[in-house]
Amino acid sequence: MMKIEAIIQPSRFESVKEALLEIGIEGMTVIEVRGHGRQKGHTEVYRGREYTVDLLPKVKLELVLPDQMVNRAVEAILKSAKTGKIGDGKIFLTRVEEAIRIRNEERGEGAL
Amino acid sequence: MEESVTPLSVLGPQCEAQRERIRKLFESGASAQETLRQLCELADETIRRVFGELQRVREAGTQGLALLALGGYGREVLFPYSDLDLLFLFGNDKIEEESRPLIAEFSRTLWDLGFRVSSAGRTFEECRRIEQDNAEFHLAMLDRRFLDGDRPLFDKLDSKILGGAERQSRPFLMAELQRLTRDRLARYGNTIFHLEPNVKDAPGGLRDFHSMLWMRQLAGERRDPRISPVNEDELTRSAVEFLSAIRCFLHYSNSRNDNTLTYELQAEAARRSLGTDDNLRRNAAEWMRLYYRHARTLNRQLLRFMEQRPSSALSLRRRLLNATLRAKPEGENGRPFAVRDGLLEISNEQAYADRNVTYSLLTEAARTGVCLSREAERSIAYIMAHPELPQRNPRVSWGVLSEILGADYPGIALRPMHRLGLLTEALPEFRNIDSLVVRDFYHRYTVDEHSLRTIEHLQELGDSPDPRGAHFVPLWRTVDRRDLLILSLLLHDIGKGMPVENHVIGSLQALETAADRLRLTPEEKAEIHFLIEHHLDMSATVQRRDIFDPATVAAFAATTGTHERLQRLSLLTYADIHAVNPEALTPWKADMLWQLFVGTSNYFSRTLDRDRLHASDEGVMLEQVRELAGGASKTEIERFLEGFPRRYLAVHSAAEMAAHFEMYRKLGTEPVQTELKGKHQAFTLTLLTADRPALFASIAGVLAAWGMNILKADAFANAAGVVLDTFQFVDLHRTLELNPGEIPRFQAEIAAVISGRQSLEPLLRGRSAGMLARPPKVAVATSVNFDDGSSEHCTLMEIVTQDRPGLLYELGSALARLSCNIDVALIDTEGQKAIDVFYLTAQNKKLTPQKQEVLREVLQATLT
Repeated sequence: MMKIEAIIQPSRFESVKEALLEIGIEGMTVIEVRGHGRQKGHTEVYRGREYTVDLLPKVKLELVLPDQMVNRAVEAILKSAKTGKIGDGKIFLTRVEEAIRIRNEERGEGAL
Repeated sequence: MEESVTPLSVLGPQCEAQRERIRKLFESGASAQETLRQLCELADETIRRVFGELQRVREAGTQGLALLALGGYGREVLFPYSDLDLLFLFGNDKIEEESRPLIAEFSRTLWDLGFRVSSAGRTFEECRRIEQDNAEFHLAMLDRRFLDGDRPLFDKLDSKILGGAERQSRPFLMAELQRLTRDRLARYGNTIFHLEPNVKDAPGGLRDFHSMLWMRQLAGERRDPRISPVNEDELTRSAVEFLSAIRCFLHYSNSRNDNTLTYELQAEAARRSLGTDDNLRRNAAEWMRLYYRHARTLNRQLLRFMEQRPSSALSLRRRLLNATLRAKPEGENGRPFAVRDGLLEISNEQAYADRNVTYSLLTEAARTGVCLSREAERSIAYIMAHPELPQRNPRVSWGVLSEILGADYPGIALRPMHRLGLLTEALPEFRNIDSLVVRDFYHRYTVDEHSLRTIEHLQELGDSPDPRGAHFVPLWRTVDRRDLLILSLLLHDIGKGMPVENHVIGSLQALETAADRLRLTPEEKAEIHFLIEHHLDMSATVQRRDIFDPATVAAFAATTGTHERLQRLSLLTYADIHAVNPEALTPWKADMLWQLFVGTSNYFSRTLDRDRLHASDEGVMLEQVRELAGGASKTEIERFLEGFPRRYLAVHSAAEMAAHFEMYRKLGTEPVQTELKGKHQAFTLTLLTADRPALFASIAGVLAAWGMNILKADAFANAAGVVLDTFQFVDLHRTLELNPGEIPRFQAEIAAVISGRQSLEPLLRGRSAGMLARPPKVAVATSVNFDDGSSEHCTLMEIVTQDRPGLLYELGSALARLSCNIDVALIDTEGQKAIDVFYLTAQNKKLTPQKQEVLREVLQATLT
């Protein structure tokens, strides 16, 4: 099992969600986050006051998937989140040792 | 149980059979009251049997040990899966020690028989003490009931010990009960209108009723017919029966002590016509309206009682003040209301048969933020329903409603208006969403509650805002036509209660009827139409578009059109998201909204001269203006409008443009045309003339000389060099209001100064003393920023500085001295902060960096 953490533009979230649904992935955790990588922030002046937007709004998706689903999911995220501009985000993959469904204590991929 | 005569193997099935019988009885239509009584009897009987058996088996005497029922069980109100609150009362420590094994076995046995026991033990001495950190226990003790054991011990406790201790600790218990109640109500957002309410603990739930019973008990109250009229008792009884029936139904449906009335169970309850005996078929939404009606009865009574019995004693000063105020039957200043204990009270009930009087009270509430007392509300409700008092002036005018909606605290008036039925009287369309449940994963409240909450969230921006709202505070304080924004919020979701596919369409239909009835002007209606039609756009843009992309901002600016609309739409969106549920407006979302607002606002102020009007492209508008202008040719109108910034089109109606055109036609005979509109202290001056040096400074100078404080201004020029300036100002000394004869002289003086027939300096000298600025309440640092990139032809200069009388004149004069021409100006104020944007040229070119530097130095020196 792998955990996919994808940090994407908020504006691409709906497309990414639809793309994942299309390949049969319904479960995910969505978190509103702020941050920046190479895409630094910028300063906006409004009514004489400077507003520095150094941490840009992003959406973070977390999914844990069986190994055989991971490549397709990554592909779907890449295709739907990409605009080609700086700030499109990142995808991180990590191995997951165990998954447990709290309701019935089922373990392993069956719990996903 | 050891050596029990009736072993568990027999008693268990007996209890189970009894429970099943009672359940069937309830499901076949028995009342909740009867069901609860039988459940209580079953528990009493079983407990006595088990307690007696154990005492017999253990050969323990009953002396010095008594068993008491507390809380709901003590009141003989036991729901199917509720806990049994029990107290073991010991005569002394020794008996307590000896009884431990018996109590342990007793509890275990009852659990095995299917009862959820929650027991406590206290010695006689311990019961004398009031535990300051355990008010809940003492409140439960108020409902004590003897079950079994040493009766004389209980009687002694009840009459001699607790009676005195409780009397002494009444103020403490009352304060604690009110604190616990306030905390509980706040946990549920202080509203009965939850989509999936908890029928026990939420406002309007059974706990409200029990809390009121405790409060009355603590107040030592004898029933007072004025506090609880006969029909109110009947309403209460009916509400308690209805809610009790729901709670029984929920327990049986969930097979546990779960009191949440979920969507699924609402549908099932409606299908069974639960709690009703009229045999009418209702869908879930209609049945839920019954629920809210009953919940409102219980919640209203509790809140009124809490208001009448404040938890803390009044100070001597307050008591004296109250006594003085009570002596005035007509209230303050002859008005039939006055403020007492921080609430608006009415003093001449019969006067409220006249709606004008009622609305003057509500306007006062909206203006000052002082709430109506529940007692005042009840009196008005009584008078409204009283057949012997014919109602006068029942139809509210838009003028009166607008005053309420445009005030600082509109929600303070709208809440009682809604409870009293005045809101649906003024706005019958609102009835579509009254107590309406719309199933939704995110929304927590009924549609009417959501709508009222949007308004309250905006009003909160005026006081101590939620950190998420900090950015929006200045927007709320300075928003233009707040009344239209609030009316839009009242109407924006009305379509949810109409048989239409898209609720926005329904809400716009509601606007049509409301606008006709209230006689809104076409401009007012158009503004509300825009806000309703686009009320989801900003949220959608934030969530689905890249708000840092200039194309997104430009498209959003094209939708909103003007800064004023953007400001209203931003506030509406902020409030709409905030009122979905307490967590819906995350700091992340609030920040995104703010970023989009700032980006779009800056887009407006930086692109004014880029978007110029090409009159020939505006066929519909031209035709409207031509019709209103009466006899003018299309070419003439085109010539006048050609080249104005598009903002001109966005901020003026066709009628205003036609009026401007009329002024334009008169320029041949009188080269300076002015028009003054306004009332009281707020005026708008429109001036039309050929462009000339220092024009803006001259107008600002005359206004300063007359003591006028400029709040906003626009300065536009068309392609032919005709300038149209608009100044909104406040007549600080009420010169024009108190001396209407001075208005022609004021206008003539403006024309004379601009035409060069009169010098400005003598006028300003006469006013120089008055123009001396008072020390500012808030210090605003001066900043002067230039932007060469936003406009093709002009340099943008933004000045933020301390507002003061004559400021615009000083700025305009400095610009004129340095030969800077103002192409466009946008003047605004925010409290004591002036925010001015000028589009400048010098010799028809952008300002050079050197010129910008000189200008910065001159302005810094002038303004500091």
